[in-house]
Amino acid sequence: MPKQKLNPLPSAAFQILLALAGEDLHGYGIMRRVAAQTDGRMRLGPGTLYSSIQTLLEAKLIEEVDTREDAKLGGERRRYYRLTSAGRKLARAEAERLADLLRVARSRKILRGEYV
Amino acid sequence: MSEKIYAWLLRLYPSRFREAYGDEALQLFRDRSRDERGFFSRVRLWLDLLGDLALSLPMEYFRVQPEVIRSSARLSSKNGPSFLVLANQPLGAGALLSGSALSLAALITFSVLLNHGVRPVPLSALIHPTSGVVNESSSHFSPSTPRVADNTEAGAGASTSQEQPTIASTSSQWANGEASDAQSRPPKQQSQQPEGTTNPAGRDARFDKAECERVIEAAVANLKEHYIDPAIAQKMEEALLSHENAGDYDTITDGAAFATLLTRQLRDVSHDMHLEVVYSKTPLPERSTGPSPERFALYRKAMEQHNCTFEKVEITTHNIGYLKLNSFPDPSICESTAKTAMASLNHADALIFDLRDNRGGYPSMVMLIAAYLFDHPEYMYNPGDMTERSWTQSPVPGNRLADKPVYVLTSARTFSGAEHFSYDLKMLKRATLVGETTGGATDVGVFHRIDDHFGMGIRETRAINPYSEPDWAVTGVGPDVKVKAADALQTAMKLAESKLAKK
Repeated sequence: MPKQKLNPLPSAAFQILLALAGEDLHGYGIMRRVAAQTDGRMRLGPGTLYSSIQTLLEAKLIEEVDTREDAKLGGERRRYYRLTSAGRKLARAEAERLADLLRVARSRKILRGEYV
Repeated sequence: MSEKIYAWLLRLYPSRFREAYGDEALQLFRDRSRDERGFFSRVRLWLDLLGDLALSLPMEYFRVQPEVIRSSARLSSKNGPSFLVLANQPLGAGALLSGSALSLAALITFSVLLNHGVRPVPLSALIHPTSGVVNESSSHFSPSTPRVADNTEAGAGASTSQEQPTIASTSSQWANGEASDAQSRPPKQQSQQPEGTTNPAGRDARFDKAECERVIEAAVANLKEHYIDPAIAQKMEEALLSHENAGDYDTITDGAAFATLLTRQLRDVSHDMHLEVVYSKTPLPERSTGPSPERFALYRKAMEQHNCTFEKVEITTHNIGYLKLNSFPDPSICESTAKTAMASLNHADALIFDLRDNRGGYPSMVMLIAAYLFDHPEYMYNPGDMTERSWTQSPVPGNRLADKPVYVLTSARTFSGAEHFSYDLKMLKRATLVGETTGGATDVGVFHRIDDHFGMGIRETRAINPYSEPDWAVTGVGPDVKVKAADALQTAMKLAESKLAKK
């Protein structure tokens, strides 16, 4: 079931996978990273964020690492998430699929080569 | 404050989600509201949250729980009946309570709607003042009023009762001099023939003081029992008794004169023109009997021979429709004739109903024809009837006459049902009446037999007259344009032409 839910991969889930590619993050961290990597276009709300996290956890594309405080955000304990190898593989597959799309778009002169 | 609101909104999510991520979601909200300050950021934050809510709520509710998938996989491998338990805790008291309350509310709503919501309320229940009006031991009769006697050309003023099987209250009145077209009349129903004062044969040797006392006693008893207003019944009783004590009746030796005098005295007190004492030389039947099939067959034959008394139906000059109708015949025989006649006038620019020789008939035919003159159901007051039958069945499909000018020609011999038609159209300002004051014949009372020769008619329904003017009983309907009956058609044609010319 989770497989079907992630095929095609929702953009929110893909953005979360990308956000976790560099480092382990807690929920708010993921949200800020996604906002940054989309120039603020995608601001994940709590419902969408944790719903996606739940789905990705069930599909074992990410995992919970531990619960600790974030020094920058004060005394609250936060749950951190990490990309699994399966998640990394899927993110790469998705990126390649997008790259293929991009090549098609270029060949159809919809995008100019240098630009992206 | 805003965190509380968001905490409350979070409760909309399924408990599974709240248990797993509720705290984190709230934490994220706190982080964002701490970092995003200023009016616009706040607005954006709340827009994000609401949009997120709308998107993710359905997603969460449609999410299939992994336990179910696992257990259904397990189940499919087994044989025999099995079931799943989704909740691993028993239902809480709150869930049970709200569940029962909701089912109870649904049940109550459903039964209330079933009892009150869908039952159509008949109009008659709203306007019918009394029920069970028809008196078993009585028959309907047509009054012979002094006024009618004076106005009819025949002068005899005698009338014949005609009881109708389907309509309990109104019948037409016939003058004795009309014997020549007896074929076109509805059948005479019974032998009751009250004699007018002008008939010398009306002198009855058997009328004496004892009879006088008996009649007064019975009249008083009938009024007490049947009159709609007990206070007025009491006054009438006192009046009759004081006349009796004063010896006013001692000189009367004639039954018909006695009936006329009593009628006048009762009307002086009650001002009820539907109240009447009648005298019949021939003995009144013990009980009323319905019209015999033979008489009905005769009537049917007469109607078929005379085009249902639709004497003339034509379009005259200036596209004015002219209908000469000499009675309002029984729709069970004449409905199609009436509809054909009205349809043939459908494209007229104005209508003239010639009722100068119309002696009345069936109220249902009055209503059938009147329906063509309105584009909505209209209340046609009828003193004898007060049911949904008093509303026209308008609009008539395909009818174009609802807004055309209407003229009704009347004479002193326009009676009963024809007066019903004229009176209501005049009161509704739907027609211009041209001609003479009508005969003033109504037949709406219930007949109470007193003895072999005397009876009285008492109206027992109090149909509401919506108009300030009293109905046509005795006084008749006055015309809007008073001309001799013979000149009425010419006058109406001129009126119609000038009205159409103005358009």
